[in-house]
Amino acid sequence: MKKLLRYVASGIILLMLSGCGYNVMQQNEEAVKAAWGDVEATYQRRSDLIPNLVETVKAYAKFEKDTLTQVTEARAKVGTVQMSKDVLDDPKKFEEFQAAQNSMSSALSRLLVVVEKYPDLKANQSFMDLQHQLEGTENRINVARTRYNKTVETFNASIRTFPNNLTNKLLLHLKAKEPFKAAPGADKAPQVTF
Amino acid sequence: MKKPGALFFVLLLFLPFAVEAAKIPVPRGYVNDYGNMISSSAEAELAAKLKSFEETDSTQLVVLTVPSLEGEPLEDYSIRVAEAWKIGQKAKDNGILFLVSREDRKMRIEVGRGLEGKLTDLTAGRIIDLVIKPKFKAEDYDGGFTAGVSALIDATRGEFTADRRTPSGGQGPYVPFAGEMPPWFALLILMGFFVLFSAMARSRARHDQLRRNDLRGRGLRKSGTWRGYPPYPGGHYGEGWSTREERDSDHDSGGGFSGGGGGFGGGGASGGW
Repeated sequence: MKKLLRYVASGIILLMLSGCGYNVMQQNEEAVKAAWGDVEATYQRRSDLIPNLVETVKAYAKFEKDTLTQVTEARAKVGTVQMSKDVLDDPKKFEEFQAAQNSMSSALSRLLVVVEKYPDLKANQSFMDLQHQLEGTENRINVARTRYNKTVETFNASIRTFPNNLTNKLLLHLKAKEPFKAAPGADKAPQVTF
Repeated sequence: MKKPGALFFVLLLFLPFAVEAAKIPVPRGYVNDYGNMISSSAEAELAAKLKSFEETDSTQLVVLTVPSLEGEPLEDYSIRVAEAWKIGQKAKDNGILFLVSREDRKMRIEVGRGLEGKLTDLTAGRIIDLVIKPKFKAEDYDGGFTAGVSALIDATRGEFTADRRTPSGGQGPYVPFAGEMPPWFALLILMGFFVLFSAMARSRARHDQLRRNDLRGRGLRKSGTWRGYPPYPGGHYGEGWSTREERDSDHDSGGGFSGGGGGFGGGGASGGW
């Protein structure tokens, strides 16, 4: 009987260990990191599409140099924002990353508005293909951002609530993560009408 | 009610559910023609085709038409439906949702993560532009859906071929303790065993005492054979919306259908006509 009690007690201690939120917080942080990886990948995908897009538009719309250079510059700027691991824990770096991507978004949507003036370009199959790819990418970015924000929400809540906040203070020292904030026009895929 | 404020508060609690849930229709089968765009003969044909497609290739392609998006962006609605219906097999993420909104004259092909390699945004976009759009423009909706579905099937052919549905999808024998089990659940079972054993030990002690008091044993065997597992909740952990039994008895719109828990990452293409 005594042996049995000892087993039960060890079981309860195990339960208590998992009840302090240590594992939950770790899991939530991993979820945030995974979601962030998706965000990065989708943004990278967009950057990869830009040179092709610029080349295609250039062939038809020679007079839109300004808009094109803006896109190219925005892409270059996105490239210089160094993506380090601590971007998640550093609100300032996160802000920087977001600002660079937002300026890219607006440069792109300006380009797509300009394109409306060139029916030849719009009818071009390779441009239509690019547009589908771009739309798909913007949509993926949107989905990845929404999911990232959801995981951040879960994570931030889990490090704040009792008793996890104690565990975090004593053992883990995790910081709250930054969610994406909706920038005007940046959260939507560029509107393209035919 | 004495406090209208309390009632209001309670109603307020339901508000998010009302807004979220109202617009996602119940999946009826492979073809969900809520927008009344497909004739019944074409619908039956499509459903049969999609059913056999899932049986041979395990890829789940679901058609949904709605009367209107009610102002919601097409892409947002489409991913919400895809996530709610969990189209495609779990771990393969091989689901496709072909969504058409009648009044908005918009459509979208939402592609599961596992199919993004075969059915790229580009391919999906071309299918919309070159196959479906011309037919829809000519108001040949039956033709558009049939041709579009055939094109989608052709595009995805080859990926996941000859791979039957996994047991987690509901087919095949149910194997207890197969698949992942959350660690807390294992612990719970362990605890359950302890509690049961201690209860048994106690009852046996009582039983022995009863016998010693020269009362007849009441069916409690001394060996105390005890069979069976603690109750283990159904085969699938809340993935999908119907159990196998429900699905087998569900014969509308070309036979049973259920999602398997496929994931979507926003891939696919949109278009209008």
